[in-house]
Amino acid sequence: MGESMVVSDLSPVHESGGEVLLALEGVSRIYGTEVEVRALDDVSLDIRAGEFLSIVGPSGSGKSTMLGLLGVLDLPTEGAVRIRGTDVTLLPDAERSRLRGEAIGFVFQQFHLIPHLTALGNVETALLYRGLTRRQRRSQALAALEQVGLGNRHDHRPVQMSGGEQQRVAIARAISTEPGVVLADEPTGALDSQNAENVLQIFDDLQSPERAVCIVTHDLHVADSASRKISMLDGKIVADDVLRGGVVVGSRL
Amino acid sequence: MRRFRELVGVATAGLTARKVRTLLIMLGPILGVSAIVAAIGINESSKGYLKAKLQQLGTDLIVVNASAGLGFGQDPVIEADAVARVGRLPDVTTVTGTRQLSDIVTVPFAGAEDYYRAFPVPVIATGPELPTTLDVPMVSGRFLNAFDEKSGARVAVIGRDLADEYGYLAGEARTIELNGLEYGVVGVLDWVLLEPSMDSAVFLTFSAAVADWTLDEPDPSRLYVRAPTNTALVAKEIPIVVSLGGPDGASASVPTDLLDAQSQVDESLNNLTKMMGGLALIVGGVGIANVMSISVIQRSSEIGIRRALGHSRGTIAVQFLFEALVVGVFGGIFGALVGAGVVWAVASQRGYTMVLSVAGLAGWALVSVGVAVVAGLYPSSKAARLEPLETLRLG
Repeated sequence: MGESMVVSDLSPVHESGGEVLLALEGVSRIYGTEVEVRALDDVSLDIRAGEFLSIVGPSGSGKSTMLGLLGVLDLPTEGAVRIRGTDVTLLPDAERSRLRGEAIGFVFQQFHLIPHLTALGNVETALLYRGLTRRQRRSQALAALEQVGLGNRHDHRPVQMSGGEQQRVAIARAISTEPGVVLADEPTGALDSQNAENVLQIFDDLQSPERAVCIVTHDLHVADSASRKISMLDGKIVADDVLRGGVVVGSRL
Repeated sequence: MRRFRELVGVATAGLTARKVRTLLIMLGPILGVSAIVAAIGINESSKGYLKAKLQQLGTDLIVVNASAGLGFGQDPVIEADAVARVGRLPDVTTVTGTRQLSDIVTVPFAGAEDYYRAFPVPVIATGPELPTTLDVPMVSGRFLNAFDEKSGARVAVIGRDLADEYGYLAGEARTIELNGLEYGVVGVLDWVLLEPSMDSAVFLTFSAAVADWTLDEPDPSRLYVRAPTNTALVAKEIPIVVSLGGPDGASASVPTDLLDAQSQVDESLNNLTKMMGGLALIVGGVGIANVMSISVIQRSSEIGIRRALGHSRGTIAVQFLFEALVVGVFGGIFGALVGAGVVWAVASQRGYTMVLSVAGLAGWALVSVGVAVVAGLYPSSKAARLEPLETLRLG
């Protein structure tokens, strides 16, 4: 295969990747008891600092399951999920929740803002129970809102904002805690193309050597804006491509 | 501590976002606590009132009424020698008879005749020991004395309300007209709790009554008997001593027994109210559990996102438990205040001294908190059990 040569050419790229922030090790997730559905089948994946990766695949390919496991919202039937090396499957809920809150920021397709709270209140929710003073919480949340260009809308409630703005609030909430990994689930799925473009731009800006950004999508345009694209099918990773400007320049499988 | 404040903040934000619902579920504890507090408060206040009244009256006063004998067409009376027999009973310290005189128009000043003919003032013939027997002090002046009795002087003592009505000043030398005969007012008797009709009455001696009015014999129709010991026994003896098997009858009663009975009636009524208040509290708790369970379903997405943001199951549970707690605390406080208000209103309307234990208020408010927290246990554990993945609908 011609690709193997490309891989060897680009081998420094993935070896120079930063610290492994999030890792799946031989992870399977089986739903159902009477009829077993193997949503994820012996999958391993490392997410390193500095990476911008997309996970693509058709419905039922297991990408949402993988997102749930990566985000520690769910536990695998087999295998280990590691946050900076710690296997979270062995931790009690309180500890696991704390690690999740510290290490991961979530952005969802449906924004999932808390309707009775203002933009600021929503962002501050991510900063609760962390030993911060009210003032620290507020200033950190305001800074995150500034970063997504909504500093002046902080006292607006979700219903007073457009979809694009709500998603930006959600992004501010995800990054306010300065997590190592930002996990996004179809972040542009509920947005028109203009807003989708804005949001994608923000994700692009979120890239930093300390942070990994991971977007689950079935939108190929979104997927190709990443630097690493993981393709899923039937609960397995079938491709792990390195991209430059939307062009596959190597594979890691 | 900071975490506690954060939890309270989150819980209150959740509650204030749904104000009507919050108020509605608060109604249960408010109604329950206020009913209980009001029941207890009114009970205590009226008991305090009755106790004060009992203390004032003493529980050793016997009232004897003459009952109809064979003297048809006449008011029943207790003859003077029967009164003397009662006075000689062991345990009896004082006896005073009274007799209300009829058809006397008492006029404080000329020109008021028509009015006092229409609204007659009771005129009572009695003996000098009446204040002692009833244990009622004088407001001013003196009561009728032995000299008045002996001489048949035209002197009168008036009740406190009548003194107010006449505009009588303490120590004033004043005469009032009884069917045109002038009587000098020598004193004002204080309020008689047991016989409020005496407060607006004119008292004069039996001798004056016999001399001036249609009384043939100085025989009372009613006796007030003070018997500090064996009161009940004395009350039983008196009718026998009075009639001695003859036609004259008398019935004796201890009026404070009635008050005692009254306070016991109040007690059972208040127990009922307390039970109903307790029931309201329990129903209120069920309401909290019910409404919050629905709320947990409606807020599942909020719960999911909080879990994603790193809040543990325990934190979610405590958050919802705190919502219940806040409902219980405010429900309890408002309920206690409403209950205290009701007690105040009733006490001031009935002239009681308000008796309300602050510890009791706090205690019942705490019960409301307890009920609310117990009610919040199920919904909050339900909230904690929600799987974030199911509520967030990924992909």
